[in-house]
This record gives sequence, C-alpha cells and structure tokens, in this order.
Amino acid sequence: MIIKAKPVTRGVAQGEAIVSRMAISFTGGMDPDTGIIREPGHELEGKSVAGKILVFPAGKGSTTGSWQFYAAFKRGNAPLGIINVKAEGVVAVSAIITGVPMVHEPERDPFQYIETGDLVKIDADEGLIEIVK
Amino acid sequence: MQLSEIQQETLRGARGPGAQKAMEILKAYGACYEAARMVPVTSVHMAGNFPVLMDEGVEWLEDLSRNGTRVTVYTTKNPEMYDPEQAEELLIPTYYQVRQKRIYEALKALGVTLTYSCHHYLVGNVPRFGDHIAWASSGSQVFANSVIGARSNRDGDHVALAAAIVGAIPEWGLHLTENRKAEMVIDVGGLDLARYDPADYKALGWHVGKIIGARIPAFINIPPDIHIEGVKGLLYTLTVTGATGLVHLVGITPEAPTLEAAFKGKAPADVDVVVAQNDVDAAYREISSASEKRLDMVIFGCPQCSIQEIQEIAALLDGKKVHAGTQLWICTSRWVKILCERMGLLDVLQSAGARVVADVGAADGPHLYLKEQGVRVIGMNSARGSYYAHNLFGMDTWFGSTEECVRSAIAGQWRGKER
Repeated sequence: MIIKAKPVTRGVAQGEAIVSRMAISFTGGMDPDTGIIREPGHELEGKSVAGKILVFPAGKGSTTGSWQFYAAFKRGNAPLGIINVKAEGVVAVSAIITGVPMVHEPERDPFQYIETGDLVKIDADEGLIEIVK
Repeated sequence: MQLSEIQQETLRGARGPGAQKAMEILKAYGACYEAARMVPVTSVHMAGNFPVLMDEGVEWLEDLSRNGTRVTVYTTKNPEMYDPEQAEELLIPTYYQVRQKRIYEALKALGVTLTYSCHHYLVGNVPRFGDHIAWASSGSQVFANSVIGARSNRDGDHVALAAAIVGAIPEWGLHLTENRKAEMVIDVGGLDLARYDPADYKALGWHVGKIIGARIPAFINIPPDIHIEGVKGLLYTLTVTGATGLVHLVGITPEAPTLEAAFKGKAPADVDVVVAQNDVDAAYREISSASEKRLDMVIFGCPQCSIQEIQEIAALLDGKKVHAGTQLWICTSRWVKILCERMGLLDVLQSAGARVVADVGAADGPHLYLKEQGVRVIGMNSARGSYYAHNLFGMDTWFGSTEECVRSAIAGQWRGKER
C-alpha cells in the first residue's frame, strides 16, 4: 500500500516502523545515547527508536530538541526516517540538519495503516510512504 | 518560496559557508511549510547549552562560526550551565568549563549578545506588538506571542540562529494573522483563581497542555488582575506537556480583548474543556516524581527568578537558616543578581545559607554536575524545571509553591501540602 505525503527533507529510508499516537519531545523525552524514549508514561517508554521508521503525530516540548536529535544522529541512535501527521518546527529542523528522510501530512491516517513492526519505506523525494509489511 | 536577490546570493555562498548553511536550513524549512516568502525579523533569541548540545552540538556551532559568519539581527542567548564567577567554589569539573568556554567563543564570534538569560524580555530584548521574531526557548516564545503580541513560531535553535544570520524567516504559521485564531475554549471559571499561587497556575498549565497538544487555546474567566508570575507559570508549563505557540488569555492577550477577537470573528457556542480543581490537584501529584522526603536541594529559577520572586524568597528566609543537609539555590540573570546585591537581598539570602547563581536556569544547566556531586532529591516551584530535571537528569523532584519550597529547605524534608 502506498500513501502520498508531503516531503520535509529528501532521501529514501526503509525499515521497521515504531508507532506512537503520542507527541514526542526530543529534549528529555529521548536518550541520545540509546535512542530510547524515556518520558514516564509515554506509549513508547523504554523502547528504542534508533534505526526505525518513527511514526508519531507531532513534536512537543523544548525547542532545544534539535540539538538532542543531532547528537542522537551522530551517535547512530536516531530514527532512520520520520512520518508525522503535522511536522512541528523542532522535528522539521531536526530532520533538515541531519538529512533524515521525513514526510508529513499523509493523505490517509497513518495510524490506521501502519503498526509497530511493519516494514515501511519513506520516499521523501517523491513524497510517498510505502507499507511493505 | 520566493527569495530576494540577496537571499539567493547567500544560498549560492556569496556570504560565506555559514550564511549559506543558514539559508539552506531556512529554504528547506520554508518549503516544508509552503511559505510564500521570507519576512525580516527584528529580534532573535536562542537556547541550548552543553547538557543539550553535547559534544556534537558544540562542534556544529563551532563549524558555523568559522569564516566570519555573523548574526545580522539583535540576538540574545538563554542560560549556560554554570556561573563562571562561582566555578571554583561550585567545583565545576574542567571538562564542563572547557565546553562552556568553547560555546562562549563560538557565540561571541557569531556576534550573539551573551545575556545568558531566559527572561531576556526583562533584561533588554523586547519586541513590539506585531513584530516578526524568532525566539527559540518554547516558554518565552509563547510569552512573546501571548503577552506581547509579537509573532514567533516554535522555532528550534537551529532555525532561530539561521534566521539571525540571514535576518529573515519563512512566513508561515503564527507569522500570518489567519493562523493566530483560537481553536478551542478552556473555561477556568470553576477554579478559585483569586487564591491561586503561581504554582497553582503551573499545575493548571500542566493539565491543560496535555489536552491541547499543538492547538491554540482561548482561556476564559482568567482574572484580569492576574499577577505576571501567574501568567508566566501558566504559559511556560503549557509548552512542556503541550506544543502550542500561542495562547489567548481573553482580556489579557493584546489580540484577544474578547472571545470573539480571539477567534477573529464568531466565537463558538460551546466550551471544549472545563477545568476542575481535581484536575489541578492530580497535576500536582503527577509533576512530583520523588517519594523520599529527605531533600538534597531546593532550586528556584525555571524560568530564571525575577527580582519580585527573589524578594518573596528573601522575605520567607529572613532570619532563618536553610537545613545543613540541604542546599538552596536561586538561579537568575546577572542583571537581577546585581540588583539583589544593591537591594541588600543577597546578604539576607546568604546569611540564611542560600546561594544566588547567575547565568544559569534551574531546568537543565546545573543538574549535570549537581547529580555528579550526589544531589538526587530536589524541591522546585517549577513544573517545567521538574520535568526536565527528572527526565533529562534522573533527579527525583518535589513540586510545590515558593512558600512550600522554602519551608522544606529549612526543614531539610519535603513539607508540601498533601493534594
């Protein structure tokens, strides 16, 4: 299945999806040394987003998040690609400075079609999400 | 996105690699939000210190600052991690001193005004109503939009710094009048707000932030004489559990003298959220993450303490002593510290065993070395500070009012009310 979306950055990424219906703060919410979500009570608490296609509604929290994302990226612990319902500024610039493929505003509700563990491909050059399964 | 001739030249590298990189970031950012053009900014504020930058961020900043890259707009800077005038006394490890110094050198080369303050609007960076600005630091950004009526999106530090170098920012989101409309109504009329302390407003913000997400709320029934510390408490906390950039406090926000004005036309007939005291009490319990009552420290200043807050703390501590096993820190800007000294407050606080530290805030900077020095259980009057101290540094936090925090610092034990 293919869902059209708007590109935030360029490039192609394919990997295992990790899905959260909750917003994510990169400062405080994600450990740059492991990629593990550490916000207490978060749907993904204790789970790593490193090397995955991270699907979540939007960013939240501190605007310093792009520094923490950059450090996570340089340490090999950032997600491979990002799908957002609506790109919030901090997440968008995190993808821009690291070049992580990212799309937003998918034409269909990603939470209806993508589950954690699915094999998902983001083509940010074409603005496409492919659910390979 | 349409670029001016100068911006196109910058993109091609005519103003050096730093300005080129800044323009590339803004071009991609503008394309993401389908901005039609760039608008000049009058004021920029950026955040980030070593605990969030980490080594990779310091290197990014140093790279940018090479080859004579300079900001072209008045740009101030959020707090750093330690007070350089107390570095020896506070046993700041050389490792951190070296890194803060590197950040200092890079920012100085870039031409950033080194205020090291998160209440920069109290110490010299005041935009006007309707100004386009780029303020990173989510709390002060929402303050600028909601209290001053200047226009800033929730820009990450990299975007703010890029805008400072280029002198303009993509026009999207809250820069456009049509996007500044309220999207939901929050009624707080059922709360006894006449008796609300700033901490109560923080707990209220914590609860409401979780509901609103990134939407623009209009609060109704906020008392028009609410103290500015109550406004700050509410706004700064809303951006921790939520991601809103603008809040219409009807009767206070310049664009929202009425609910109709907040919605730029017809106000909805229904209220979306009615807040009850139970919700606020539950937020208090949720913000505190500690269970052990013994306190290593009480730390104030997220955002940095204003002179009015320090006057309150000094009055509560006058003639008393902080418990021998507990430290009490007041984090503020250099300006306010000087004012404390001039007004005799520093003597009162120091005699009580409290410490005033400048250039830092209580959210992030100091916790890295405090933790290494054995500090674990801390009391705070900031919900925002509690969130970051706990989630970024693993501190166990108690949250309560200024009065509860001071009382607890004297007792050496958390003495907050049961809620």
